[in-house]
Order: sequence, then C-alpha cells, then structure tokens
Amino acid sequence: MSGSDVKDILELDRGPEKEFITKDALMNSDKKKKPARKSDVTFKRPEGMHRELWGLLWTDNRDAPPLIPTDTNQGYKQMKAKIGSSRVRPWKWMPFTNPARKDGAIFHHWRRVADEGKDYPFARFNKQPEVPVYSDLEYQQHLHDESWTRQETDHLFDLCKRFALRFVVMNDRWDREKYPDRSVEDLKERYYNICNKLVKVRAPHGTEPKIRAFDADHERKRKSQLVKLFDRTTEQVEEEEKLIEELKKIELRKKEREKKTQDLQKLITAADSNIDSRKADKKKTNKKFQQQQKIKETSVQTPETTGIKFPDFKQPGVYVRSQKMKLPVSLGQKKTKAIEQVLEELGIEYNPMPTEEITSHFNELRQDIVLLYELKLALATCDYELETLKHQYETVNPGKTPDVPLPENPDPLLEIGQSEDDHSRDAIDVVGNLTPNRKRKAALESTTAHLLKKMKNRV
Amino acid sequence: MTEFNPDSSGRVKGVTIIKPIIYGNIARYFGKKREEDGHTHQWTVYLKPFKNEDMSTYVKKVTFKLHESYPNPTRAVMKPPYEVTETGWGEFEVVIKIYFNDQHERPVTVYHLLKLFQSETDIMLGKKSLVSEFYDELVFNDPTIVMQHLLNGTRSLSIGSYKHDTDFEEKKEKTLIKIQNAKRKIRFEITELNERLKQKKQTIQKLKDEISKHDTSALETSHTEILT
Repeated sequence: MSGSDVKDILELDRGPEKEFITKDALMNSDKKKKPARKSDVTFKRPEGMHRELWGLLWTDNRDAPPLIPTDTNQGYKQMKAKIGSSRVRPWKWMPFTNPARKDGAIFHHWRRVADEGKDYPFARFNKQPEVPVYSDLEYQQHLHDESWTRQETDHLFDLCKRFALRFVVMNDRWDREKYPDRSVEDLKERYYNICNKLVKVRAPHGTEPKIRAFDADHERKRKSQLVKLFDRTTEQVEEEEKLIEELKKIELRKKEREKKTQDLQKLITAADSNIDSRKADKKKTNKKFQQQQKIKETSVQTPETTGIKFPDFKQPGVYVRSQKMKLPVSLGQKKTKAIEQVLEELGIEYNPMPTEEITSHFNELRQDIVLLYELKLALATCDYELETLKHQYETVNPGKTPDVPLPENPDPLLEIGQSEDDHSRDAIDVVGNLTPNRKRKAALESTTAHLLKKMKNRV
Repeated sequence: MTEFNPDSSGRVKGVTIIKPIIYGNIARYFGKKREEDGHTHQWTVYLKPFKNEDMSTYVKKVTFKLHESYPNPTRAVMKPPYEVTETGWGEFEVVIKIYFNDQHERPVTVYHLLKLFQSETDIMLGKKSLVSEFYDELVFNDPTIVMQHLLNGTRSLSIGSYKHDTDFEEKKEKTLIKIQNAKRKIRFEITELNERLKQKKQTIQKLKDEISKHDTSALETSHTEILT
C-alpha cells in the first residue's frame, strides 16, 4: 500500500499537483525511463551468449531511430495499468430513464458523478428496423397472394412492427385462432416478397432497386436437415462413423491395389525383356578370360526393374571376383531365402567357383529366380483380387455369374496355399469386413510360404 | 599386348588382368586329444596360385589373421609358400590379406573358414588329411604400369606338373553346365508365368469393368430413389 492510499483513506489533502487520473495516464508509461537507455551502451555480452546472437541484439540497439514515429516503444512488454497511483473518481447512485421504453419507467444505477444528466448510454443499441407500409391501392395492384388474405397480411405487418422483425417471436405470437398456422419461413417469405415488390414498384424509372434475397425453400430444407442431424440416435451416429471409416479403408485398399497393378505392369515388362535377352543369349559366343567387353554386355542384358543390383567393380584397382557374387543386403531376407531354397533344389552351391563366366551366369540365374519369385507373388495377388472381385460381383449381382472366364480352381500352382487358407478366404466379405487388410495380409503371407515350397517342387 | 597409355595416376586404362588363386586349409587329426593343451588337429592354412607361377613377383606379403587365442595372431608371410601351420582344437575364420608390390594397389582380403571336422571316417581317424580349399580370382582393373609389368612377368614356380587336391577344371565345367541348365529352366518358367499373369490381368480388368458398370447403374437408381 502506498502512502497516497493511506492519505486517501484518511482523506488528507494531498495538494493540487495530483489530478484525477485519466486513462492515458494509467496506460502510458512515464517518460522518465528514456535516459536510462544510455547506460546500455556499456553493457557487456553476458557469458555463454553466442557472439552472433549478441551481435544481432547489439546492432539492433545501435540502429538509427526509425524515420516514422512509432507508438510501440514498449516493445513486447505488456501494457500495465498503474492502479492506485491517483485519486478515485466518485460514483453516485442515480435514477435514469431508458429512451427505448415508452412507459417512462425510472430505474436506478451507479454512475460517475461527471456523467450525471447524460443520456442512458445503451439507448443507442435500440435500433428500430423500418417496416414498409403499403396503401390499399398498392395491395390490390401488386401484393395480392392466393394463400394470404389481406387481414392476415396486416396481422403479419403488425407483428413485424411490434417485434422489430424478430420472426421467431412473431411466429410465437402468431394468431393461430384466426389464421392458419404459419412457419417462420412462411412469414419471412411473405414479408420479404412484399418488401421486394414495394421497392420495385416505388423505385423511380431507370434505377435498379435493391432486392433482398430470401430463398424460402432453401431455408426450409436447411432447417429440416439440421433437425435430422440433431435427431440422430447414438446408434446412427456410431454407424455413420463406422461407415466413414470403412470408406477410408476401402479407398486405401483401392490405392494399394492400383499401386500393385502398376508394379505388376513393371514385372511383366521385366519378364518380357528377360525373354528378349534370352534370345540374345543364344547368339552370344563363348568368351574367354581377359575379355572385359562381356562384363558390359551382361550388365546391359539384365533387367534393371526387379533384378538384384550386384556390386560392379569398375573403378581401377584390385578386387576378388567372389565379391561380385555377393547378394546386396537390401535384397531382403525373404528373397534371399527364396534364392537359397531354389539353389538348394537345383543342387547349386551358394558360392560357386567365381570364374568370370560362372559369376555372370550365376548372377543372372539369381536375378531370374528373384523375378520368378516376384511373378509368383504377383500371381497370388492376382488370384486373390480375382476372388475378391468375384465376391463383389456376386454381391452386387446376386444369382448371376460374370460372363468373364473365371478359373474354377484358381491356380494349380497355388493349390497348396489355397487349401490351407481356405477358411480365411471364406471369411472375406468385401463390404462388411472390419479387418480385411489384416486377413488379406495373413492370407498372402501363408501363400508366400507355400510358394517357396511350390517353387521347390516345380524346380 | 595392350599399348601403354598411362594417365596421371600411372594406370593402364582398359586393361584387366586376372590371377586365379586357391586358398584353403588341410587338417589332420592326431587320433586323440593332446594332453598338454587339449589340441586335436594339426592344420595348415594356405594361399597359392591356381596356375604354376611365382606369385612373389607381384605379391609383397600375405598375412593370415588367426583366432585371437593364438600367440601373435596376425602372421605375415613374406615369400612363397604362403602358409601357416598350427595346431588347435577349433574351427574359426581366417582372414587372409594379400599385399602387393606396388603400393598403389590396395591389399585384398579373402576369408576362409578353417575346417577341421568332417564326417568321413578315414579323415576322422587321422589316416587321411582333410582338404578344404576354394577357388577365387584376383581381378586387376586398370593396373598401374609397374603392376602390369610385375603381373605379366611371372615365372614358373616349379618344373613339372602342378596340381591341386581339388580338380577345379572339372568342377568349373560341371558348375557352369548346372547353372546354365538351371537358368534355362527358370527362364522357361518365367515366360510361362508371365503369360498367365497377363491373362489374369485381363480377366481382372474385365471383371472390374463389369462391376463398375453395374455400380454406376446401381448408383443412378439409388439416386433417383432418394430424389423421389
């Protein structure tokens, strides 16, 4: 508590130098602070602060003053009102009348002494809308409406005036004994139609009258939609959420499938180029050591899209040939395993003698194995998709079978994988399954495992 | 011969020289566990040229890094025969590093899993030595001029026949035939599978079209239902 407060309470006179406080005085900092700036000049960089940061701050302070005066000299400091620094302005309990009221009722409230005798400040919010008035002639000529009588229209306009176009209140006050029940929209529609017609009729020639647009049908629809939205039960809300989630999933799956088809296309192109290269292979003559050309040839031959990227040692220097046969780690365990299994079945060592010829053939062989593996995977995916599509077709087209040749037993190659995950296949319901992705994955994985087996059996 | 065309690094561009090598180990069982240290085998790990030639013309030294439990585990051998003989009781990976006479060529490393045990009875009884050896090739891409000289100037190691325990020529032929056959097989399967895949894809597309046709018509009817 400051001394002035004590003096204030004791009602001691504090001399004429202290005036009543103004808002400006309250909010603005006093100007005494200004000279304090100069002491900043000798301010040293605090320990631990980066030189660059300090430089920024420092030069910022030393900058020339801005050309345009600013009133933000407080920077980011919050404005603080200084309360209690001056004498309080007196308040008084006084009567007042509200000009918005017609009855001249008198109420009392607290007010500053200085404001005594002034108008009630909130009276200015009492805005009265202008409700147009029509003459008998105007009504007969322009405003006639089949569904509205003159009396009813008059009643409407009377209510408009009384309640200042608050249509909800008007709807409540509507005289339902004399006139048919009207909705808020009906009232609004009639009112705005009349207003617009009057404006049009009264507008002087050549000027474009200002029309107020009110689309009653749209409003009715909007409200009924809102009511519907509000009236939903919890179950309905939950169902909707579920459906939206499902939709998202379906879209995700669709994207996934599209990506798969793209991959498939790539695979087919790779396989095609592989077939081409085989033809080229036959023409190739046997090569001997020291013919480096062949290395380049083989690297061109191998399909790049799906194959394995074996290390190529093109830089000058020495290397051990067996390093060229190393499978890259990026290949992944599944593929590496597939290669190993096939090689085992073929009776080929994992690390055969690394002569130049064997190395290139061996690498190509493994690339082919990977391609074959991927093709088989793709085929499994295709079969799966075909199955799903078939189900889908049957759901939308019950009782019919598509006029497309469908494999009855999807694929002899996959029969092992088929028999075992039959249960998961049966469970797949295109529309209503909540976890189709997981099941699909599981089904795919088991097919993959069997693929390996199958590859073995075939080879 | 290729013409000399040294560039700034002193390398001969477009030349590749290949030196086939054999590395591996032989091992013989004592017949019993040795009392004093529990060792059971005597073994020799080695690196030698595939062809009859003196590697020391271009090889400066070969180091064999043994298991750490051996005293002084990294053994450097400066001249042929490049081999280390030891006794032991366990198998481990030997790191064989080959250093070249021209220091511009970086040393090359091969790894060999020392083999002591095999199921063949004769070897188990110690009557016959176990041989585990592998073929590999040193490939010199764009060798330095010095190195090229050294590589081309090797002399025969010994007069007379030079043979290995393993018949690598035969092995090479067999492997090659096997791989080529396998390749043909796999490629045939690829073609077959590819055809099937293409067919499947077409069927899927047809089915999809069918469904989407139905979908749009169904959608239209449901729309009209809502509107009415």
